[in-house]
Amino acid sequence: MKRTIFVTLALLLGLALAQPQFGGTLRVGMQTDPVGLDPHLSNATATRNMLENTYDTLVMHDETLAIVPGLAESWEASDDLLQWTFHLREARWHDGEAVTADDVAFSIMRIKDPEVASPRSGNFAVVETVEAIDDRTVVFTLSQPFTPLLSFLAQSLNVIVPRHVVEANGDLQNVTIGSGPFRFVEYLPQTRLVLERFDDYWGVDADGNQLPYLDGITFTFYPDPTARTTAIATGDVDWIEYVPAVDVLSLDADPNVEVVGGLAANFRSVQFNTTIPPFDDHRVRQAFAYAIDKQAVVDLALFGTGGVVARGTTVPAGNFYAVESTPYDTRDVEKARALLAEAGLADGFEFDFYITSTYDFLRDPAEIIQSNLADIGVTATIRMEDWSIFLPNYIAGDFVVLVSGSSGQTDPDAFLYTPFHSESANNFGKFSDARVDELLEAGRQEPDPEVRRELYVEAQERILELSPHVFLFHSAQYSAHRPRVQGYVHFPNTSYLGFRTTWLAN
Amino acid sequence: MLIFLGRRTLLAIPSLFGVALVTFILMRSVPGDVVTSLLGDVQDVTPERLAELRRMFGLDLPIHVQFGQWLGAVLQGDLGSSLRTGRSIAGDIALRFPVTLQLTLMSLAIALTLALPIGVTAARYRGRWPDYLGSAFVLVGLALPNFFLAILLILLFSLHLGWLPPAGYVPLLENPGENMRRMLLPALSLGLILAAATTRIMRSTMLEVLGRDYVRTARAKGLEERVVTLRHALRNALIPVVTVVGLQFGSLLGGTVIIEQVFSLPGIGRFALEGINLRDYPVVQGAVLVIAAAFVFVNLLVDVIYALIDPRVRYA
Repeated sequence: MKRTIFVTLALLLGLALAQPQFGGTLRVGMQTDPVGLDPHLSNATATRNMLENTYDTLVMHDETLAIVPGLAESWEASDDLLQWTFHLREARWHDGEAVTADDVAFSIMRIKDPEVASPRSGNFAVVETVEAIDDRTVVFTLSQPFTPLLSFLAQSLNVIVPRHVVEANGDLQNVTIGSGPFRFVEYLPQTRLVLERFDDYWGVDADGNQLPYLDGITFTFYPDPTARTTAIATGDVDWIEYVPAVDVLSLDADPNVEVVGGLAANFRSVQFNTTIPPFDDHRVRQAFAYAIDKQAVVDLALFGTGGVVARGTTVPAGNFYAVESTPYDTRDVEKARALLAEAGLADGFEFDFYITSTYDFLRDPAEIIQSNLADIGVTATIRMEDWSIFLPNYIAGDFVVLVSGSSGQTDPDAFLYTPFHSESANNFGKFSDARVDELLEAGRQEPDPEVRRELYVEAQERILELSPHVFLFHSAQYSAHRPRVQGYVHFPNTSYLGFRTTWLAN
Repeated sequence: MLIFLGRRTLLAIPSLFGVALVTFILMRSVPGDVVTSLLGDVQDVTPERLAELRRMFGLDLPIHVQFGQWLGAVLQGDLGSSLRTGRSIAGDIALRFPVTLQLTLMSLAIALTLALPIGVTAARYRGRWPDYLGSAFVLVGLALPNFFLAILLILLFSLHLGWLPPAGYVPLLENPGENMRRMLLPALSLGLILAAATTRIMRSTMLEVLGRDYVRTARAKGLEERVVTLRHALRNALIPVVTVVGLQFGSLLGGTVIIEQVFSLPGIGRFALEGINLRDYPVVQGAVLVIAAAFVFVNLLVDVIYALIDPRVRYA
């Protein structure tokens, strides 16, 4: 018995310390097909996750979401923060041509071009010009200081694309030539998407070995969550995305499967239309925040594994810019009642609670919240609609109270300015506060992270006090793999850049 | 025969037109449209962007203008391209239709292989144990939904025995062996249940035929019971079975979507379903048109087989 334990331990240690091995094809089980293959034209997570290792971005996020070099080896900003100069590394496209500064300028202008109709054309609104100084130097000129620029450049659908290929083909829906570690081989809809190793990729590991380790990646599609978890349990694939919250524990108990993941960059909240009485009174919104049992929402609607209770605002715990506690951390029905009474609503009231039926994590909390509010005499009348009907009403501000959220943010500006600045096009609840505006504007112009953090912490404290949203939870995201898959790293922005360092043990 | 075929083909045109028109109106009556799914996360969406995209896709035009444009293109052989992926719809249908066709043919083969002998035997030994055994099969088969059977089969053959993969697809021409391994469970899920329904019809029509005068005559001639059953009775009992199987063939071509979903097969049903969920109008239009055309064609085929079996049909 002792001997067995010793041998097992030795084996485990051996695996942990093992040198990465080259070779092998990783079989990946995806939830859905990519929505188009042109990265600039799509906003789909599926497109991003299958193509982000075929293309490169100018700068990249690492697994802590810090900015690290991508195609640009180094960069510097002028003192007024209006001119950003990027120095490119030597890199090749998959067709053998060199990656040039002109390709960079072309790519950013393509995303901005209204004729191209990229869903992210707004990301570079403050960029006035992008100029190639020589083959390897490119200068961005901005209309105003804008610190979130690097985060947008690292967004892995805002990739650098080859000008000559776009000009020859019109768009990139039917041809994929990038500079990333994997070359595109083929795509059969609802069947598979195949990538293979690109031998001239620029990246190396810590020991100077040329990346990637894998010979290739084959993505197959399992829209049915049970089919996906069965595929990993039987070893039909090596890695799957989106383990359903309900299966996390049972799959983790399987010795042939390891579950990886956790907090992802996103927020889910109850959102008020702050122009409609009684929700124009912040005391009513505060009363909701005290009355709603966030822990129950996570435990019951998300099976305890699908999310983490929000202990701050939109920015998830652990983020450098997060605040880690709120006045509403423990449920306080008495306080909620008192606030309602102060607002002249001691007898309670009824309101229209708008819910989308499409996503379980936005739908299932509704009934718990409804019963929480009943405790303070407030009647929530749930109205449920499909996302495709819900969304247009949501963005038009045509609602009273709803549950929604958004995901994929990396910069605090995206987490806070986008939903809460009074001038933001995506402030759908029409929340408006002069102090919050001031702080958020200062935040996007401040280059020093420590000072920036102070600005954002103050902004968030003010937001919590005025309570335009009741912050419920941050969704967690899990992937699962067979034990022979090594070196995969979970990114909290749910990117699969981790495949660049993944390898297969024999 | 040619006149018969020509008349039937001409009759198909108004049917297809009707299907296209109804699909068009129904799809546009469903609230929501494709642009909401195109934009993705709410942080990138504004009402102006939605309006701009609608204009780009021509979704702001009156519905009869949109239908006219679509119909005009289809008459020139152009099914258009997906609003979401920009892929050619005709090309995507050409990839997916063979998958559904193969699944349908395999299910029918399984169904007939089981149903004909079981049905005939049950009728032949009416009221004795082979009949009860057959009835039990029919009862279970009719009561069990196909997706439930599919899950049971996956649990048994993939998870416990590890013999067959649980889901996924490999094209037939690329690797026939692997393709069969992956198509077997889906075909069984559909085929076993289809077999139950077909067995019931086979048994009852066989019983009816076995009671006819000419069968008594055949027996009176002293023919062996085996010959009476297979030569004299079975042939006539098959006519209603051909009708039912033909109808099932047609409806399977568009109706295997749940099984395609469970087994992650890239069939035409899933293609249409995805189009419906995301309001990708031209995808739905194209897929439904092709499914309807296939249905009409199979019905035509059944009629031809009829005419071959029974000359009276040709002159009706």
